[in-house]
Amino acid sequence: MPVNTEKEITTLWRNLHTAQSEICKTYYRWREVAIEIAGPETKPLDVALKAAEMMGVDIGKNFLPRLNWLKGEETFMLNLGRQLAGMWASEGAATTVEQGEGPSEILIKCTRDPWPTAARHYGVPMEEVALTRERLFQAILVDVNVFFDTPLKIEMLKAIPRGEGEWVFKLYKDESK
Amino acid sequence: MAKPIFEWDYSSYPGAKKYPKLFEPIQIGNLLIPNRIKYAATEDNFNDHNGFITDADVAYIRRRAEGVVGGLCFMQGVYMDEAQKGQGYVGQAACWDDKYIPGLKKMADAIHAEKAVAGFQLMDCGRVGAVEVPAGHGPSTVPQRLRIFKPMYEMSKEEIKEMVQQHVDAARRGVDAGFDIMEISGIVGYLISNFISSYTNRRTDEYGGDIHGRMKSVVEIIQGVKEACGPDIPVGIRLCAEELLDDVRGNTPEESMESYKIAEEAGADYISVTAGWQESIVPVISRDVPMGSWIHLAKLAKEHVNIPVQMAYRLFLPELPEKAIAAGELDIWEICRSMIADPLMPKKVLEDRQDEIRHCVACNLCLARLFRDAPMTCYINPVCAHEHDENFFPKPVEEDDEKEIMIVGAGPAGLECAYVAAQRGHDVHVYDKEEALGGTILEASKAPYGDEELMTCINYQRIMCEKFGVEFHLGTEVTEELIQDEMPDSVVLATGPVYPEIGGTVSEGATIVNVLDVLGGSAEVGDNVMVWGNRKPGIGCALFLAKQGKRVTIVGKEKTAGFDVNPSFKWRYMIYLRQNRVMAYNDCDIEEINEGEVIVKTYDGYRFPLKCDTVVMSEREANEGLKAVVQGEGIELFVIGDALVPRNMSSAVHDGYRIGLRI
Ligand SMILES: Cc1cc2nc3c(=O)[nH]c(=O)nc-3n(C[C@H](O)[C@H](O)[C@H](O)COP(=O)(O)O)c2cc1C
Ligand code: SF4
Repeated sequence: MPVNTEKEITTLWRNLHTAQSEICKTYYRWREVAIEIAGPETKPLDVALKAAEMMGVDIGKNFLPRLNWLKGEETFMLNLGRQLAGMWASEGAATTVEQGEGPSEILIKCTRDPWPTAARHYGVPMEEVALTRERLFQAILVDVNVFFDTPLKIEMLKAIPRGEGEWVFKLYKDESK
Repeated sequence: MAKPIFEWDYSSYPGAKKYPKLFEPIQIGNLLIPNRIKYAATEDNFNDHNGFITDADVAYIRRRAEGVVGGLCFMQGVYMDEAQKGQGYVGQAACWDDKYIPGLKKMADAIHAEKAVAGFQLMDCGRVGAVEVPAGHGPSTVPQRLRIFKPMYEMSKEEIKEMVQQHVDAARRGVDAGFDIMEISGIVGYLISNFISSYTNRRTDEYGGDIHGRMKSVVEIIQGVKEACGPDIPVGIRLCAEELLDDVRGNTPEESMESYKIAEEAGADYISVTAGWQESIVPVISRDVPMGSWIHLAKLAKEHVNIPVQMAYRLFLPELPEKAIAAGELDIWEICRSMIADPLMPKKVLEDRQDEIRHCVACNLCLARLFRDAPMTCYINPVCAHEHDENFFPKPVEEDDEKEIMIVGAGPAGLECAYVAAQRGHDVHVYDKEEALGGTILEASKAPYGDEELMTCINYQRIMCEKFGVEFHLGTEVTEELIQDEMPDSVVLATGPVYPEIGGTVSEGATIVNVLDVLGGSAEVGDNVMVWGNRKPGIGCALFLAKQGKRVTIVGKEKTAGFDVNPSFKWRYMIYLRQNRVMAYNDCDIEEINEGEVIVKTYDGYRFPLKCDTVVMSEREANEGLKAVVQGEGIELFVIGDALVPRNMSSAVHDGYRIGLRI
């Protein structure tokens, strides 16, 4: 039977999108569990930031085998930016990586992101979505920096959940170190 | 005046004339070693989980001691801390208390029983350690790249001092146990190398900083161990000449050579040159690295230090170290895996029985087993790990029990079985429809990245068959009539696998060829190839074709490509597949084969077309051929190798050996 490529791709695509939206939903379901267990004294934002930190550190460990210093700092930073963008894309975001001002600056941009939409369904404040993403990326850098002995930082310049139309993260070298 | 521990005279041996340098004495410290041969320390996971030496380890080392014919024989590196942070392997020998001395003495005695020089090794596994505890220790807290390794935490200065003292105490215990020479292991990412490397040592105190700071603890260890050992027991150290860690900002080769000089100044009596870490992303000792590739590092070391220089690393043939020693580029030939594969390897060199050596095929299964907490075994040597068990050695059969044995198939399983059975006194006949010995290895050895070395197994088996009087009937297909004519006492079917028809529909005009014909060169193959089967035969064939410039895709049922290859080698194949642009679709089936196209179906039901003008069949099945005939005649039957279950050359050899012992 000949392959109907359109049908195969559509089914695959649909399943991918369902899986991607499940990533967001599963996270927010667990967030509710954690908030309830933490009790009324704990601020939901603190729970979310702690989760971002723990997940970020774990994701950072996964980055280690995929990064290397063989082509020097510029390529290393570009590849790190690509890893961050790629991870986000696999969750359903539309991302790009660009060189920033100078060789030691990389911009990670996202123009479409399923997370704010999913957050809205679970009544999560938009500022929490923004800060969680920033904390996640920062936590990913922790082990990467120790492992490669690098002084890299990441900073959120714009965020969709803040109504700024796109996300922009600046990955850069902390010259003071 | 330096004195030998045992007197050896090699003058009457042919090998000593052929390789005069290898059998020349050498002075290390105040010790005279009769030759230039060293069995290098080999962790084997044979000891009990409390670190006590077992009979298996004693028997293992004794066999290697026999092999070095008077040279150096080192036991595995011991860990030295009660907290077990330095323990890298579940069966690693321990030495953190005097209670271990009696067991260690058995090892020294076993080595001495073969008149060899007994070597003791101190090995805190550092970054590769803490196998039984939640976390390990190191100069700095640098995360692990691979999750199988435990997290490492920075040692305080007090802990460093303690660690130095542990080396000194363990050395003293080694001396008390009767060892003649001491070695500090600073190879492949163990604690010593962690201190030396800029990758893992980020300290800002006196134990870090430049190479002198990073060597401070090593210097303290060398000096302390020297003092504990006294003037008659030389102390050497294994150190990296090239870490191969550029990807993680490791040491430069210049820094490594500096570390050699510092070790010499601290009093080391020899340097054992090593290359790479377990974390290095370049291959170092697998068979895709040609033999002798690292010998230039020994030469470099000789240019930097005046003490004797030793080295192993793919020096599998005596010609290589002989030449290097003659050229002044090396002093001692270290051997590890070649003597796992054949414990008597150097002895056979001395006796000019080189063609009787069972050569290591550099597959690294031995290493892979250690990391899976399993006792070491060898791909090619069925006796490895069973040296203590007399049932694993061929015993002559009683005259009345001698049998006439027909072995069908001259591949690795059949040949192994043949010589072992013949050695025991049976009358063995090997049949093969081909004119050449080797079975599927003839073709498999055509795959790239060192697979030609697989033929060393067949060459060895041929020599052993000839030695024990096996009769060959080549170019003879075994049929029902032949079996009925011969009516042997036993038949061993070592006929290799069969290649089943592909499932799904096959349209006319589709070109389907067999993997053996492709590798053997008799099949015509187009430019767009699909190899059906993602195990080793499929991978080898895919790389063989990709090297000819063809566009190759592998499709197979296994969840991962190379699932039958041990993890210590498999990662190499994954890199070579990528480098050669070979795509692998795993967990898939073939639904249709049409002219110019194959329809692939994933395990979860997606279908996609693959452009392809030739399909290569490498999926295998057990071979049922002749079984019924033999059973029908009431003849004793054994089925071995791929004919029983398609696996790999190792299984074939091990099957053949065991049936050869039993039959
Ligand atoms: C199974 C196995 C265990 C080893 N254990 C040790 C060890 O305990 N101490 C050590 O210094 N090196 C150890 N090594 C490294 C070897 O001594 C040797 O340097 C290395 O295998 C390269 O030599 P080869 O090509 O002759 O095998 C081990 C190697 C293997 C394959
Ligand atoms: S397991 Fe493989 S690498 Fe290890 S000694 Fe045997 S043949 Fe050599």
